Amino acid sequence: MIKLTGITKSFGRQQVLQGIDLQVEKGEVVVILGPSGSGKTTLLRCINYLERPNEGRIEIGDFEVDCGRASKKDIYALRGKTAMVFQHYNLFKHKTVLENVMEGLVIVQKMPKETARRRSVEVLEKVGLGEKLDAYPSMLSGGQQQRVGIARALALNPEVILFDEPTSALDPELVGEVLAVIRRIAKEGITMIVVTHEMGFARDVANHVVFMDGGVIVEEGAPRDIFNKPREERTKQFFKRIMPEPAYSI
Amino acid sequence: MKLDPSFIWEALVKLLPVIPTSLLITAVSVLCGFVIGTVAAFIRIYKVPVLHPIASAYVTFIRGTPMLTHLLIIYFGLPLMIDALSSQLGLGFRSASIPMIDFAFIAFSLTAGGYMSEVVRSGLLTVNRGQIEAAYAVGMTTPQAIRRIVFPQAMAASIPNLSNAVIGMLHASTLAFTVSVVELFAKAQIVASTNWKFFEAYLAAAIIFWGLTVLIERVAVFLEKRVNSYNRGGVA
Ligand SMILES: Nc1ncnc2c1ncn2[C@@H]1O[C@H](COP(=O)(O)OP(=O)(O)OP(=O)(O)O)[C@@H](O)[C@H]1O
Ligand SMILES: [Mg+2]
Repeated sequence: MIKLTGITKSFGRQQVLQGIDLQVEKGEVVVILGPSGSGKTTLLRCINYLERPNEGRIEIGDFEVDCGRASKKDIYALRGKTAMVFQHYNLFKHKTVLENVMEGLVIVQKMPKETARRRSVEVLEKVGLGEKLDAYPSMLSGGQQQRVGIARALALNPEVILFDEPTSALDPELVGEVLAVIRRIAKEGITMIVVTHEMGFARDVANHVVFMDGGVIVEEGAPRDIFNKPREERTKQFFKRIMPEPAYSI
Repeated sequence: MKLDPSFIWEALVKLLPVIPTSLLITAVSVLCGFVIGTVAAFIRIYKVPVLHPIASAYVTFIRGTPMLTHLLIIYFGLPLMIDALSSQLGLGFRSASIPMIDFAFIAFSLTAGGYMSEVVRSGLLTVNRGQIEAAYAVGMTTPQAIRRIVFPQAMAASIPNLSNAVIGMLHASTLAFTVSVVELFAKAQIVASTNWKFFEAYLAAAIIFWGLTVLIERVAVFLEKRVNSYNRGGVA
């Protein structure tokens, strides 16, 4: 289980997160929606400390940290329990597909090379890249690169995988293959927090939908409820803007 | 006066034995300079308190003054310092016992360090922020992320600038003759001093420098090709 309590974050004078509380059960897929600039990326990055929250608590499993006074050790511990899939993939450019996935296992988790290799190959086969082990990221399509990114996160066996708009840098025809992979691993019961604008995906895969605006959670609940009968005016307006009427009536 | 082509050849042969001296000066200054430059580059990029302005001042001083100045400062200044220190501490050590070539090593390392710092810094700046974030996200510590992810990519991007710096230091190693180190240039002078055929001797030295430079360029091209196999999808 993951529990965020009172997370705040400011950049200079601008308070981007104004006290976020969020609870994610084990095996749940949480989708975060919201307009641009609402703080979705910042929230995800606070969870693994790529961004240092100003205040709040983060609990993951039995690990717990008070953000105001997190030590280096806490930060590394937190990162050890999370993994992230980036919008722009951020694969290690100078390493092959296999090395990208193995890197964290060998260097961080100190897994023996042979074991790490076996685990990496297994995960890469799962995302359909068993044939590309020795390719460099620059030789792959965007969709393939993002699937490596997913494999890299998955191999670490984290408590939660954070996805920040994993398909928004992709050509439309490549979006499907990446979403299919995410769907498949969601079925395996891996806890995921996904920021996305793919409403169809959110509707089918999410157990829980969170709508953010202006650095606060405006509304959250089951996808059925959020999509079909949003309570808050801001949520309604958001859906109206991104989905013309017929698209979201079942 | 007429050009004597056969003496060019003769001088060339006589110069061969001092090639190692020139290469040694170059290698030492490039390697030490690389270490100094890398440290200075990290200090400047991470804005390490106290050290940051010192590193910046060092780099601007080195780049802002001729290399000959660095050599002369070390050559005249260092013995003063050493002798003063040695007598104060009552050590029997005297600067006169330091081999000349060591002054060249120290001075040129400092010179190379100033230039290398800019090479390394610009290399580090080419590495996208996303790379280190991905390294953090898989759980690496900052030193691990730098050593395994950022630095190798920075070096790959720096190969052309690095080879330029190496070539520059090779050519500049001739300055060591001013502190009586017999490198290629000094040797050419010695070779010619018996028959006054300086032009031929210098031409011979030039040919050798050119040859060594071409060699360095070849190595750089080879390394660049290997690196490009990941940068541009295998087609160099
Ligand atoms: N490093 C930073 N420095 C200063 N301001 C920042 C920084 N990162 C984000 N912000 C600001 O914080 C606010 C929230 O940004 P964030 O990236 O979290 O939004 P988002 O919901 O992910 O938006 P999008 O849908 O466009 O990705 C924005 O106003 C942004 O300008
Ligand atoms: Mg974002």
